[in-house]
Amino acid sequence: MITVMNSECECGPSCGEVSRFLSDYSAWLLGSGATCIRLEKNVSRMARAYGKEVEITIMPRHVHLSIWDKGSTEMVTTIASVRHCAISFNINTRLSELSWEVADGKVDFQEARRRFDEIVTGDRQSKWLVLLLVSLANASFCRLFGGDVTAMIVVGVATLAGYYLKQQMLERHVDIRVVVIACSFVSAVLGATDILFSIGETPTIALGTSVLYLVPGIPFLNSFSDMLYRHYVCSFSRFIDAVVLTSCLSIGLCAAMLLMNVGMF
Amino acid sequence: MFLQILQDALFAAIAAIGFAAISRPPRRAYAYCALIAAVGHSLRFVLMNGQCVGMNIMAATLIASFVVGTLAVFLSPVARTPAETCLFPALLPMIPGIYAYRAFGGLAMCVLNERQEQFDYYFYLFAHNSLTCGCILLGMVIGATIPIFIFKKVSFQATR
Repeated sequence: MITVMNSECECGPSCGEVSRFLSDYSAWLLGSGATCIRLEKNVSRMARAYGKEVEITIMPRHVHLSIWDKGSTEMVTTIASVRHCAISFNINTRLSELSWEVADGKVDFQEARRRFDEIVTGDRQSKWLVLLLVSLANASFCRLFGGDVTAMIVVGVATLAGYYLKQQMLERHVDIRVVVIACSFVSAVLGATDILFSIGETPTIALGTSVLYLVPGIPFLNSFSDMLYRHYVCSFSRFIDAVVLTSCLSIGLCAAMLLMNVGMF
Repeated sequence: MFLQILQDALFAAIAAIGFAAISRPPRRAYAYCALIAAVGHSLRFVLMNGQCVGMNIMAATLIASFVVGTLAVFLSPVARTPAETCLFPALLPMIPGIYAYRAFGGLAMCVLNERQEQFDYYFYLFAHNSLTCGCILLGMVIGATIPIFIFKKVSFQATR
């Protein structure tokens, strides 16, 4: 009797349960912008804690997971679509913490499931604070490229308007590519005022920097990290995603320059 | 010179905090992002503009981002966040945006100009700026991800 109680297969979660949980976990972790290597490490660490073996296939938009008990011939395979959510290092960090808590045996299966739901639904951030920080950041960025105070102010205002528009459009679920074109157009039109009224010493820097908050830096970096660990399919897909967004940015910038009739140099 | 370095570090820190906010880091990570970005960017500034150093931007970026990567890997267990959370936002101020902008401008102008001299000139601007931009980016990501690769153990146990 006691031996049965202690055996993991009897009291631990079944392969099906673990598989469902881990596939939800993977879908959110990838969606929040984690690298492939992190997903592999976290998932296999958790599966090991539940006494299961796991194999993962990571595709750009789906994750396949196969889970089985050691020594058993029966497997459970789950396929999950990667969540479409904004990049969130907060979710990424907390899910990674959760994986260690599971691995170190601090939380049981039910508790882990509960915490997971709490993490993915509880990611809140003040919209206004982000708007302010991004505007300040882009203005400082302008300074790093050698812009003067006028250029910094122009860039700050252009970013404020553009990022506000981005938040509003994303809330209404407009396609991200359309959002980037619209935002870069608005920011570049405002950024061009420095050239039109020739108020500062460094007007072209103002125009050039005004759209840089839209550069998809994290996808580019993630893409390279995946390449380093030889996840070439995901790496390539992330790279193309980032290139498409950068092209959208350029389209908006170009349209604004044609409209305002300002040259590039 | 010292004042310039401080100024560079300050603006890099503000830029890192703001760009970090876009990708929603946990609140405790902001301070580390700012610190790492300030060290990295001012190091690059010194390497490029220091009296006896005067490196070109690509080599300076490679070295600075390697330092940034190493710092991020060893500070991430202190901040209890994955290394990427501190590292990626801290790298963003080094992105060569103005080169990318000039490259794009050159491309647009050389498509619009048919006369050979003008085309040649703008094509030169396009090629020069895009190559520089590409090399800086490559140096940046190689320099920054290699520490994560070397110190695998530290970087993946950070949230334990």
